[in-house]
Amino acid sequence: MSNKIFVILSLVFIVLLSACKSDKQEFNNRVVIGIPADVNTFNPLFALSVDEGAITELLFLSLIDFRWNNELGEVEPFPMLAESWEWAEDNSSITFNLRNDVLWSDGEPFTVEDIIFSLDVYSDPEVQSRLYGIFEDFYTDEENHIDINKTFVVKSNYELQIKFKPESSPDLFDVVHPVIPKHVYEKYERKDLSTADENFVPVTNSPFLLKKWDRNQTITFSTNKNSFLYDEKRINELIFKIIPDYTSRLTQLKKNEIDFMELVSTEDVSDLAGMENLNLKTIDGREYDYIGWNNIDPEEYNKSGKVSPNKFFGKREIRIALTHAINRQEILEEYLYNYGTLAATPVSPIFTYIINEDLEQYNYDPAKAKNILSKQGWHDTNNNGVIDKNGIEFKFTLAIPGGNPLRRYASTIITNNLKAVGIDVSIETMEMGAFIDNLIAKSMNAWMAAWYIPIPIELKAFWNSDLQNTQMNFVSYQNIAVDNMMDELTIINSNESKKQMYFEFQRIIHEDQPMTFMYWISNIVGINNRIEHLNVSPLGAITHCWEWAVKK
Amino acid sequence: MNKSFLKLLSKRIATSLITLFLLVSFLFVLIRISPGDPTQKFLSAEFSPELKEKVAENFKLDQPIFEQYINFVLNIFKGEFGISYNYRQPVLLVVWQFLSFTLVFAALSFLIQIITASYLALRTVRRKGKIFDKTVLNLSLIVYAVPAFVLGLSLIYVFSVQLDIFPSSGLRSLDFESNSFLGKIGDYIYHLTLPIITLSLAGTALFYKYLRESLEDVYQQDFILNLRASGYDEITILKKHVLPNAIGPLLSIAGIELGMLLGGALITEVIFSLPGMGRLMMNSIFTRDYPLVVGCALTAGLLMIASNFLADMIKMKMDKRMIKGLIN
Repeated sequence: MSNKIFVILSLVFIVLLSACKSDKQEFNNRVVIGIPADVNTFNPLFALSVDEGAITELLFLSLIDFRWNNELGEVEPFPMLAESWEWAEDNSSITFNLRNDVLWSDGEPFTVEDIIFSLDVYSDPEVQSRLYGIFEDFYTDEENHIDINKTFVVKSNYELQIKFKPESSPDLFDVVHPVIPKHVYEKYERKDLSTADENFVPVTNSPFLLKKWDRNQTITFSTNKNSFLYDEKRINELIFKIIPDYTSRLTQLKKNEIDFMELVSTEDVSDLAGMENLNLKTIDGREYDYIGWNNIDPEEYNKSGKVSPNKFFGKREIRIALTHAINRQEILEEYLYNYGTLAATPVSPIFTYIINEDLEQYNYDPAKAKNILSKQGWHDTNNNGVIDKNGIEFKFTLAIPGGNPLRRYASTIITNNLKAVGIDVSIETMEMGAFIDNLIAKSMNAWMAAWYIPIPIELKAFWNSDLQNTQMNFVSYQNIAVDNMMDELTIINSNESKKQMYFEFQRIIHEDQPMTFMYWISNIVGINNRIEHLNVSPLGAITHCWEWAVKK
Repeated sequence: MNKSFLKLLSKRIATSLITLFLLVSFLFVLIRISPGDPTQKFLSAEFSPELKEKVAENFKLDQPIFEQYINFVLNIFKGEFGISYNYRQPVLLVVWQFLSFTLVFAALSFLIQIITASYLALRTVRRKGKIFDKTVLNLSLIVYAVPAFVLGLSLIYVFSVQLDIFPSSGLRSLDFESNSFLGKIGDYIYHLTLPIITLSLAGTALFYKYLRESLEDVYQQDFILNLRASGYDEITILKKHVLPNAIGPLLSIAGIELGMLLGGALITEVIFSLPGMGRLMMNSIFTRDYPLVVGCALTAGLLMIASNFLADMIKMKMDKRMIKGLIN
């Protein structure tokens, strides 16, 4: 009897299985992108993560389209929602002429009112959008909310002038943000915008429409045939498949179940490189690892708020010695398989127009490191293998956030390298939340982490001496010359002067070595070779993906 | 009897609610005094420092913990669990989006565990000492010892990568909607076969072990010999006398197992990209989404209490002598 039941159940199982289809990509105009986490909103006001930002920018176009120019090493503006734009001679305003053929996906026309509304809500303290507080060049009230009357001059439904504060130095990045539809969001109280229904069922102005959002499974976009960017020869469906596990993402890429994934691990590169269905590309220069040496005494700072030099890392000579003592090249070769380049300063090599190529790397040279340490008074007086000075042994804890195999590997190399010059390092792995708390409190002596760098280049948030208000200056670096330079950079307009200033900034940072700049890490992207017209640039891999096509 | 039963039942429900309240209160305080806070994700060179302050103010994180706790308790009594910081939706709505999958997934796995374990236990107990019995016993020990992530990844490697029979992850195919009704059911089976095996094997081995031992103990008792001597057939002895006596320990462990399954199967959900409570809970903890952490814990706690309660009810149904002891 039981055997009969087993046979019947097996037959039912086989019949049901045969009725379903696999996700293997046969020919269709669809591209499937594997991403590790779902988005939480489609509203660009609240798109906080990198993936959310990239996805919402596909749905909500901006006035201008930025594209990366490799030769110039900077972004170039192209028309998008605006057909043309013109700066006033004194740079005090800009006038945009908009396309008149742009429709929102619900059929409403796109006008200047949408731009005014968007900038209004982006800067509204009630809304708390991701861009709140950045409109420094605009006329704003005391809460940084843009003053609409002083800022905007509507010349027609498709012509808008934006005026800036006197003595400010505005650029296109100040005004180019994804535009949201006024007629959709104006019905909400500003404080309720973050929970608006349309954040999950967006009304867009782009070549893509949200077709279906299957939470934590897939996000499906279809093409918008009414969009001025629509081209029937390009892809007609774009799917983001949420696959949290890296190994599963990789398996699906190999099996053609997904067409595209970022952040391929270097150890999988040789395996993927041999596969006929895949191409590998890299996005370079957007992220670097560093070892943060707290320039100030963390205990003193946390106890009394007083800034005094760190007993180990307070002097630049010591920090230079530490950089000489660490074999960065070994980590780059052994773990990253050279998918990256050694870093000299926080200015990415992708910004070719401002990169100071005269700076020489602090090469791995333990003898030189020992020599510098010795000159600074650090000797192994008691022959225990650890150098000391005034009775204090050179012994510290290097904190790393958990869950990153590269940093775990690197920390072992660093420990051994520093031991060779007489420095005793212990590694402490911390949960990310706890790690960030400690960074903000400036309570650690040394740590290893990474910076993801914004485009356009932003330095003030990392290097200004005001430790209370410069939220990203975790190493507590203070240099008045650098502060002045960064202030001047915001007001000068001459490209040549800016370039010289960036050169000088890099020279000072290189000499002061407030941290050990480890390496720029390449983001390796695995792409199914059936996708055409794909342009991977530092701006990202999926920007402009409405231009992608699928080989027949 | 009915009156005292209801009284005892009310007492048990009240105790459970108090336990639940203490659990979420403990969690509320614990997560707030732990390092990290939900505004950390606003720390970026691209965001202004003012934004972080505004958000903290909006989330009322600038208030003392005691004040936050009082508001939290008052809101709970009003049935409000707040808005998830990440999802920007009411917590209960977010939980329900994930719970619906977990309820089905856990129930399926639980049924498979119970049915398979019972079948194997009944088959092997009558073949004690034979090759089949020894094989199943040893296999169950091995399966129980293998961690879920090893099992899941091995199944993916064999059945998805090498044999290409099942998909490596996901709940539905991309073209799910274009399937017929039968095709949709087939699609779910196609996607859930490997996750269900991963989730069920260890539980099956556990249930098997408990039931197998209980059955053996009962079979060795004198009254079974008497029944056999009195001419009762084996099926009657099994149904009427062995099973009711042997199933107690299994029910106790089943209540706990069901509660744990309903709380989410984190590893299986992550490996197979399934939208369950385990992943939701983990993400809410990592991102310090306080209202959602509390919402998840409350749901998991409720389900754990409910499943244990259900197991006790079944036990009572089977043996009325246990009523008082179980309710207390």
